[in-house]
Amino acid sequence: MSSSQIEIQLIASIVAIACAIPGTFLVLRKMAMISDAISHSILPGIVIGFFITQDLNSPVLIILAALTGILTVVLVEYIQKTGLVKEDTAIGLVFPILFSIGVILIAKNANDVHLDVDAVLLGELAFAPFDRMIIGGTDIGPKSLVIIGSILVLTIILLIAFFKELKISTFDAGLAASLGFSPTVIHYGLMTVSSVTTVGAFDAVGAILVVALMIAPAATAYLLTTDLKRMLLLAIVFGVTGAISGYWLAHFLDASIAGSITTMLGVIFFLVYLFAPSKGVIAVIYRERQQRTEVSLLTFLLHLKNHQEEEERHVNHLNEHINWQKVRSKTVVELAQKNNMIVIDNGVVSLTEKGEEFTSLAIDYIITNEDAKIEYMKDDFFLFRG
Amino acid sequence: MTNIAVKVDDLTVAYNYKPVLWDIDLEIPEGVLMAIVGPNGAGKSTLIKSILGILKPLAGSVTIYGKPYNKQRSLVAYVPQKGSVDWDFPTTALDVVMMGTYGSLGWIKRPGQKEKKSALEALEKVGMLAFQSRQINQLSGGQQQRIFLARALVQDAAIYFMDEPFQGVDATTEIAIINILKELRKANKTVIVVHHDLQTVPEYFDWVTFLNVKKIATGPVKDIFNDDNLTKTYGINFKVSVQE
Repeated sequence: MSSSQIEIQLIASIVAIACAIPGTFLVLRKMAMISDAISHSILPGIVIGFFITQDLNSPVLIILAALTGILTVVLVEYIQKTGLVKEDTAIGLVFPILFSIGVILIAKNANDVHLDVDAVLLGELAFAPFDRMIIGGTDIGPKSLVIIGSILVLTIILLIAFFKELKISTFDAGLAASLGFSPTVIHYGLMTVSSVTTVGAFDAVGAILVVALMIAPAATAYLLTTDLKRMLLLAIVFGVTGAISGYWLAHFLDASIAGSITTMLGVIFFLVYLFAPSKGVIAVIYRERQQRTEVSLLTFLLHLKNHQEEEERHVNHLNEHINWQKVRSKTVVELAQKNNMIVIDNGVVSLTEKGEEFTSLAIDYIITNEDAKIEYMKDDFFLFRG
Repeated sequence: MTNIAVKVDDLTVAYNYKPVLWDIDLEIPEGVLMAIVGPNGAGKSTLIKSILGILKPLAGSVTIYGKPYNKQRSLVAYVPQKGSVDWDFPTTALDVVMMGTYGSLGWIKRPGQKEKKSALEALEKVGMLAFQSRQINQLSGGQQQRIFLARALVQDAAIYFMDEPFQGVDATTEIAIINILKELRKANKTVIVVHHDLQTVPEYFDWVTFLNVKKIATGPVKDIFNDDNLTKTYGINFKVSVQE
């Protein structure tokens, strides 16, 4: 690997981490579309900042662009508050207008400079290593790496300091407000970080990939965990995995790096969506089937428990009594036998001691929903896995 | 003379300049278990949210033991409506209860062992200790409400505001919750509950406020919980006939 290859992957990975952190909270706050809006509407800020500073990496430009990002959020909320249109409509109104102002500004004034709409949408990650940050004659690395690295450090400090505040205001804004943690302050803080990160990542990866890096890793992590800290960590891991694997995909296909990274993020999400252990599509289908069988088993055991009469318990009459199809009652009888819960004597089915016990415990559990009672059954039966 | 825990003066609250609470004057004495009743859209939740500073009033003021709310936060605990939060949020029952300690911690400081211990105690009080590490969407509606109650108990406040704590809970949970509320009253805490089930008002509460955009009446249940006030509040001829 050449040093510029390493640098590109490093920039992509750091951008991924910096995006995954605010992205996780955006996903939990159901504000994914806001990141799309911000990523487009910072364009006029970037263009105006560029006219003033003539430098795409100037802090003035970053601040101006971040301010346009926040302006987007303010405008969306203002339009929404009038009650005339819903939030998604407000977003759809605001960001294309701001974005197109940026497009017009570029077309009118910046024909001769390094700033075009293509670069804005897709980024120029491949060229990032050529633009060096030189301080006092020493080369300290690519400019975009220094910028996004600083933004990441700032984001991590803010995350650690205000983790508790972010959590409570995201989960329960009403409680946060009553405890004195102003949800408005936290909301705008998060919006500011998202805007600054978007601007910082923009130059390297472009407007579209920023959205993907904010939303896809967080959405993927959401399918795998029930813990906020772990969700943040997983989002970071998926973001970095997508960034590096995307870089190599682009390398082998000789295609756009930004496009390949986004594709990989989509592939990762899709794989997790299918195979996630508890929320994944396959797990859900499997669990529903198991549950159906187990509920049938329980119904069957309960029937045996409630009926002493032999004709109610005869193998040949089970179908009519429980009103099942033959195939299903066969599976259920086999499952019960396999677990030593019933014995069949002369075609008459009876509960074993184990079967009796299991039935009463299971009924108890369903009524009381107390875990301790069925702890040992949990491994065998889905129904009790909560 | 008893202390006044909460005092509301000339409170008017509006959504988009449409008043939902008109000129409310209310004094809630210390140590009462009070129901706020009224039809849908009467402004019951709005009243609580305005007292807690979650909504900005158009006019009027609120004091908690004589001082504005933002000086008295530590005296107040709040249980929002269960439906106001996303129960798919990646967190556990214990973690939600811990959130009750955030107020006393203030900004930046993180909860530690002491906060965890009081959260576990609160979980035990509401009978949910066994569920401490459960993901919150794996809990039943009644269990979620108990978690919310535990979170308020952790705050160890003097005044408790609860927005419809009995909504969508089973009878066992309802009894468990009301018993805890009655214990709080015994400890001379003030408990204010937005309540929907008029039948249970005399059984559960000793104080009641009738609200329908304006305040209709407030006072001891035995004195003012009658057909007259119910009719004024709900606008139809009410016959609860709860008085002997």
